[in-house]
Amino acid sequence: MSEQDLLFETADRLFAQVSTFDEVQAAQASGWSQASWDAADALGLTRIGIGEEAGGVGGSTADVVALLIAAGYHAVALPLAESTMIAGWLANAPGVVLPQGPVTVIPNRAGDTLRLEGDLLSGTAHRVPWGRNADLILGLVDDHIVGFTPSQASIHHDVNVAGEPRDDLSLNGITPVLCVAALPEQDPQGLALVGALSRSALMAGALLRIVDITAQYTQERKQFGKPVGSFQAVQLHVVRCAEHAAQVDLAVQVAARECDRGEASFEIAVAKTLANDAARIASRAAHQAHGAMGMTQEYLLHQYTRRLWAWRSEYGDAAWVSTLGEAVVALGADHHFHIIADGSASGIEL
Amino acid sequence: MAIRLIPTELTDQERALQAQVRAFCDEHLPRGSFEPGLGMSSGPSKELSRELGRRGWLGMALPKQYGGSDRSTVDRLVVVEELLRRGAPLEQHWTADRQSGVVINRSGTEEQKRRFLPQIAAGELCFCIGMSEPDSGSDLASVQSRAVPVEGGWKLNGTKIWTSNAHFADWMICLCRTHDSDNPHQGLSQLLIDMKSPGITINPIVLLDGTADFAEVVFEDVFVPEALLLGQPGNGWEQVTSELSFERAGPERWITPVIIVENFLREHAQDLSPAAVDFLGHSVARWWGLRQVSLSVARMIDEGKAPALQAAMGKDMGTEFEQDVIATLQQLVDIEPSLHSSSLFSRLLARAVLVAPSWVIRGGTNEVLKGIIAKGLR
Repeated sequence: MSEQDLLFETADRLFAQVSTFDEVQAAQASGWSQASWDAADALGLTRIGIGEEAGGVGGSTADVVALLIAAGYHAVALPLAESTMIAGWLANAPGVVLPQGPVTVIPNRAGDTLRLEGDLLSGTAHRVPWGRNADLILGLVDDHIVGFTPSQASIHHDVNVAGEPRDDLSLNGITPVLCVAALPEQDPQGLALVGALSRSALMAGALLRIVDITAQYTQERKQFGKPVGSFQAVQLHVVRCAEHAAQVDLAVQVAARECDRGEASFEIAVAKTLANDAARIASRAAHQAHGAMGMTQEYLLHQYTRRLWAWRSEYGDAAWVSTLGEAVVALGADHHFHIIADGSASGIEL
Repeated sequence: MAIRLIPTELTDQERALQAQVRAFCDEHLPRGSFEPGLGMSSGPSKELSRELGRRGWLGMALPKQYGGSDRSTVDRLVVVEELLRRGAPLEQHWTADRQSGVVINRSGTEEQKRRFLPQIAAGELCFCIGMSEPDSGSDLASVQSRAVPVEGGWKLNGTKIWTSNAHFADWMICLCRTHDSDNPHQGLSQLLIDMKSPGITINPIVLLDGTADFAEVVFEDVFVPEALLLGQPGNGWEQVTSELSFERAGPERWITPVIIVENFLREHAQDLSPAAVDFLGHSVARWWGLRQVSLSVARMIDEGKAPALQAAMGKDMGTEFEQDVIATLQQLVDIEPSLHSSSLFSRLLARAVLVAPSWVIRGGTNEVLKGIIAKGLR
């Protein structure tokens, strides 16, 4: 059993206890599950993937991916991806120290206007996950890692289709509590890749969960005197879910492994592309297999399908497909199969 | 419960093998030196099969004492994906290398192993599969071919159908009924049939693309010596299902149209629409993912696990995607594909249009695979 398997099991067991259906349902109002945060924090899970000098407990990308798959599997209502993987990546820059509490990261959406003028930070940032709840909000602005607190910003509350906080922030010439030079690789493309990997991992977990939910429901629900899962037309939906979940789960783990080695832009773009496909296809199949029951708030399927729909549109959907296509065309026909067989090792770079 | 796949990657040794195979292909199968085929249906070449055998690249997982290389399923994947993606002619050894040798090694007698395995590993023997019958497709347990005991062996009567390469195969592994039983899964046996035996008639079946690789094979009082019963009498069902289950997720289940897309890119690099660029990106993403599935399943087999469900998922996903690729390609380019075109892309696409329906049928229809996966998820 690998280290990641152990970490996944630990997180899975913990979240199964605290991030229950009722807890996730209750967290819809605020978007925040304090019980989940307290439990994860007590085990140090909220600081995995952050270097020790930055206040974390260390760990590889593969470790964080294992954690996020478990978080996705239990629809944990927390900015875990931001606090661990994405903040941890920004904290690779010397001088960044993260607080023990929740950290979020500005996702660099089109239309963001943040800029540094001297020591002062101004502008707007859109769709910041849990902006209102974070102890520290990090951003990549003008080749600097900047950090500020919610109290320094004017915050417009919004949520994504899953009900997770996605807040718009306005800053008017504030003095950031953190401002250090970014490393060369810490550019918008790098942030987009780390963000995409984090979403792919969460989506892998949610996909595995809708397989379990759908397989169980179609065995329990009886019509015409037998489980609906005994009808081949319904089995098709369950199998479609299972295949897409297995494919995304595998792809994201391989992408994490390659990320720990170095260049992995291809693998990450592929993982997010496959996850986005799966969000469309598997969610549709899971809902069809459930009939009307899947449409209700009182049944758990929506906690996962709504997250899949939300995460699909975050950190790149169709854009990755075009980026991949352009890179494939640039390398040319003679490299085509090597990309498929060797990934980044073929020389493809996005 | 959801099915998970374990990530794996090629070891340094496996990468070294990959480099050798690539160099071999560049030397012996350079582009333009032969008309490439589509995946498994690529025609036979005794010379190529012998060359591969000489290098130890056939029967790789078979024991050294029987002429094999004591290598692994992953090693075989590394070799066959390089050959398949170039459209190399593999049909002479394909069946023997993928499954006949494995089955004989698993179920055969010492004498059978000594007799067949070294020749399989040398690329000298072509095997075909005698499973389907006119009234027995997905429901293999209903086979009607029957062998009755006679002095010194068995007398076989019946008809097999959809048998690839029957007209040039040396041997067939034939599933037939040898005992009566209330349970249709019992009483079946596998027999090794010398295709030159008296009483065998081979009737070619012409497929949509005009080729006649398929045949109906009729057995009339064919004598099969006792020594050619494979495995335990009456145990054929277990032997056949294990033969089918693990071999399903090889690269041949997703790689077939790669050569078509590669040549599309080669011939149309200057006039790609944005939709074509997206397709090239998306298809590479899917293929990379499907290859990781094949690799994961192969590694599980080598580790002694039984990834029957994972393999079924790999084949179902891979072959459906193969068909999607052909459908999308036709929408992307405004050409009329032709088997006689001067463009290789056009010729391959025309062939693919005609044979793609078979990709989700052969080796267990995708409907049957989905049933297997659905049961496994309960």
